[in-house]
Amino acid sequence: MKNKLKITAKALILLLTITIITMPAFAQATAKEIEAKTLLIKETNNPTVSFNIWFNTGSVHDEVGKDGLSSIVGEMISDGATKKHTYDELLNIMYPMATGYECKVDKDMTVIRGRVHKDNLEKFTELLIEAITEPAFTQEDLNRIKKQRLDYLEKTLRYSSDEELAKAVLHNEIHVSTRYGHIPEGSVDGIKSITLKDVEGYYKKYYNRNSFVVGLAGGFNDSLPIKMVNTLNDKLASDQLMVNYVMQMPIEGLEVVIIEKKNSATAMSIGYPISVLRDDPEFVPLSLFNSWFGQHRNQSSHLYNVIREKRGLNYGDYSYIEAFPNGGALSLPDPNSARRQQLFEIWLRPVQHQHSLFTLRAALRELKNVVDNGMTQSDFLKTQAFLSKFCRHYTPTLASRLGYSIDNLFYGVKDNQNYPEYLSKKINKLTLEQVNTSIKNHIQYKNLKIVFVTADAEKLKQDLLNNNPSPITYDNEKSAEILKEDKEISNFPLSVNAERIKIIKVESVFQK
Amino acid sequence: MRKILLFCSCLLLLAMTETAKSNVFPYPYKVETLPNGLKVILVPMNSPGIVAYYTIVRTGSRDEWEPGRSGFAHFFEHMMFRGTKRHPGGVYDSIITSLGAEANAYTTDDYTCYHLTVANNDLERVMDLESDRFQFLQYPEPEFKTESGAVYGEFRKGRTSPFNVLWEKIKETAFDKHTYRHTTIGYEEDIKNMPNMYDYSKSFYQRYYRPENCVIVVVGDMKEESTIAMVKKYYGKWAKGYTEPKIEKEPEQTSERTATVTYDGKTNPILAIGYKNYAFSPTNKQLIARDLLSDLAFGSNSKLYKRLYLQEQKVISFQPSFQMNRDPFMGLVYAMTTEENLKYVQDEILKEVDSFSKNVVDATALQDLKKRIKYSYVMDLDSPKKVAGNLARFVAITGGIEQIEDYFATIESITTQDIMEAAKSLTPEKRTIVILKGSN
Repeated sequence: MKNKLKITAKALILLLTITIITMPAFAQATAKEIEAKTLLIKETNNPTVSFNIWFNTGSVHDEVGKDGLSSIVGEMISDGATKKHTYDELLNIMYPMATGYECKVDKDMTVIRGRVHKDNLEKFTELLIEAITEPAFTQEDLNRIKKQRLDYLEKTLRYSSDEELAKAVLHNEIHVSTRYGHIPEGSVDGIKSITLKDVEGYYKKYYNRNSFVVGLAGGFNDSLPIKMVNTLNDKLASDQLMVNYVMQMPIEGLEVVIIEKKNSATAMSIGYPISVLRDDPEFVPLSLFNSWFGQHRNQSSHLYNVIREKRGLNYGDYSYIEAFPNGGALSLPDPNSARRQQLFEIWLRPVQHQHSLFTLRAALRELKNVVDNGMTQSDFLKTQAFLSKFCRHYTPTLASRLGYSIDNLFYGVKDNQNYPEYLSKKINKLTLEQVNTSIKNHIQYKNLKIVFVTADAEKLKQDLLNNNPSPITYDNEKSAEILKEDKEISNFPLSVNAERIKIIKVESVFQK
Repeated sequence: MRKILLFCSCLLLLAMTETAKSNVFPYPYKVETLPNGLKVILVPMNSPGIVAYYTIVRTGSRDEWEPGRSGFAHFFEHMMFRGTKRHPGGVYDSIITSLGAEANAYTTDDYTCYHLTVANNDLERVMDLESDRFQFLQYPEPEFKTESGAVYGEFRKGRTSPFNVLWEKIKETAFDKHTYRHTTIGYEEDIKNMPNMYDYSKSFYQRYYRPENCVIVVVGDMKEESTIAMVKKYYGKWAKGYTEPKIEKEPEQTSERTATVTYDGKTNPILAIGYKNYAFSPTNKQLIARDLLSDLAFGSNSKLYKRLYLQEQKVISFQPSFQMNRDPFMGLVYAMTTEENLKYVQDEILKEVDSFSKNVVDATALQDLKKRIKYSYVMDLDSPKKVAGNLARFVAITGGIEQIEDYFATIESITTQDIMEAAKSLTPEKRTIVILKGSN
């Protein structure tokens, strides 16, 4: 309860901040107002300018029954016509500039992003503002975008990557029965139901002058932020900002969802919601824990070492304390997925079916070990040394630095527009005790959602219900230490009740 | 618009300027070749405290010429992380971890790349580690077998993508003899057999991981002289000994090839139309004209893309693919469409090639493409990792950076007539058409 109250308070502060800087239409913003509605990283000699126009809205604002609406609106802006230009014309103008803009819609934030060479800054800025303030919202564009989205949900997401499917289902299941409980891309029925009227209504309500911040980085001059803020203020509607709150449903025990699909390996994702956001004093201690336990795509991950390096069961195993969309394709997080509710997540890459329960047990056993015993001093020191240096890679470019700083504005973190430096300093000040306290406070292994994507759902269900041991054999020599550990893993208790196991056919996921 | 941002052919990763005589690559660079044949390219740039360190081995799945060895270059890339006598697997990993390095590797058809981005004051430590594993790799057989499990896991996770199934079929259909016939990940039966190839792995290392087959690229905040001195210190004693792979030449294709493959899952049909191409050369006008043609005819600003994707909405995705390769490969265009529109889309693609062969392309369109290449290039070189990453394929294919200006000069020299000639050269007997259908 304490945590829920904290999130609400945070959201109210954000709302208040944005309300304070509300301005009447057609007025020229004062310097103070410009400052409040911009985030600027200036590098005069940089030949490019990056844009991050943040609107304080996202899929949490999708109307009930219209899951995916916010994301469709975003795409209508980034991939559609304006009142002055057809989409074809826009492509034509931007082609020689090698530029364009995209709209990233997550649960709580929408960011329109682009990058352009200074030679083309004026024209690009004009087109970007036009796209945001004067979208045409044509039926032709809507038909195309909906068709593509349905293809993504019904075919690509269901069939082309079992691990991305498991992650998407996990995210929906963790937040089930809340407005967080659908992926931003929406559902099949939701997308089918969206009309132009829905798009126009959403746009008017949420793309308004009370909800944006202009982020710029690179070689721009001082007039650009002023021009952008004044134009957006002038042309956008003035609806009051609505913030939706997520009342999280509790998870009781191990709650299992099995997606049944013809495949040759089982994909698994595990998780539960956590209340720790980036501005929380416990965020950095948990970041260090998470880096040790499951640093994304890194050989330093403890899970990776236990499951892949020692046993060769799969391609990798990782964990997260912040959502990491598209993790299969990225080595570092793509910013602009800041959320008011985060999750702890374990990603186990596909294993042979006969190893699925062994692998699950291995991961849960490691989780239990660290919750019960905490990290060791040696692991703490190694991870502290690693992460305090590794975090400098988070922002390899100015555009990514801008993205992180926009996210930190969302969270109320004052990073002085250099998140790696901010984070590194905090990591270096951590103590083992702080980390282990935060693990005790926020990491647990008893109440989890577990998603499998596998071929024989009924067999898996029975194995889970019966807590059947999952012994493993190898075709190569293993040390006595590993074999001893394997015995413990194969008998690690899995306590799952029949009413907490749900089997879903793959053809029906993301339907509603 | 996302498609514009993400769009990249091999050309877009590289550079050109409007004046072919000026230097296109924006950073000064230094090249040095050690007596043992190891080439080193240094590119100092403003990146306070950060350097990218890339080791490019000019060996990839192209070099898997022996039967039953498909996928081995990629598997061997994994083994390179299993340690040496001085730095056994766990020790290597823990040092890399202590450096806070962003480190990884990847394998392609023509090369394998090992890369780290680190603090510049750790550069010497990195050279010590990297030179050690490139000269003295040593791993026990059980670890070799364990790693084969991870590689099989990588295959399994990728196999669910229809594009991987299609890619395997395209190569198999278009090539009879050359090793481009198989994919980099390899055939499943060869991957299953990898645990039994411990001895072969040692031979692979001895043959290909040699100084005269490698290029080191260092980009970022560094001092040239001291970096060269370090390279000499750590790599100077690396013994020569590269053995050429016995790759069979692909016979000339004499008739159109077609194939259909079924994907075990739901997907819309994907059509791939490819034409056999030339080996990459920075000065080959015919090849580079074909590359430009592929974007003019099928790229995101082409008439056909706009008609099929935006107006008629008969394709779900549509894009060309053109890649530099050491040996003749293919230029391709992909279209995801529906069953009922499959034939129509195929016909329209073929008609477009025909149309480009009979009509001179709009000069403005060609000029716009050249401008686009220039701006993409300038904007894409904004970190040491991106500079090194973008150079990697060019360096691997040509053996260095020296010809990069020739390459941009060739792009600049392409005329509308060259584009027409390129289209004329795309004759049916050089064509391969593969269709993937789902088990819907």
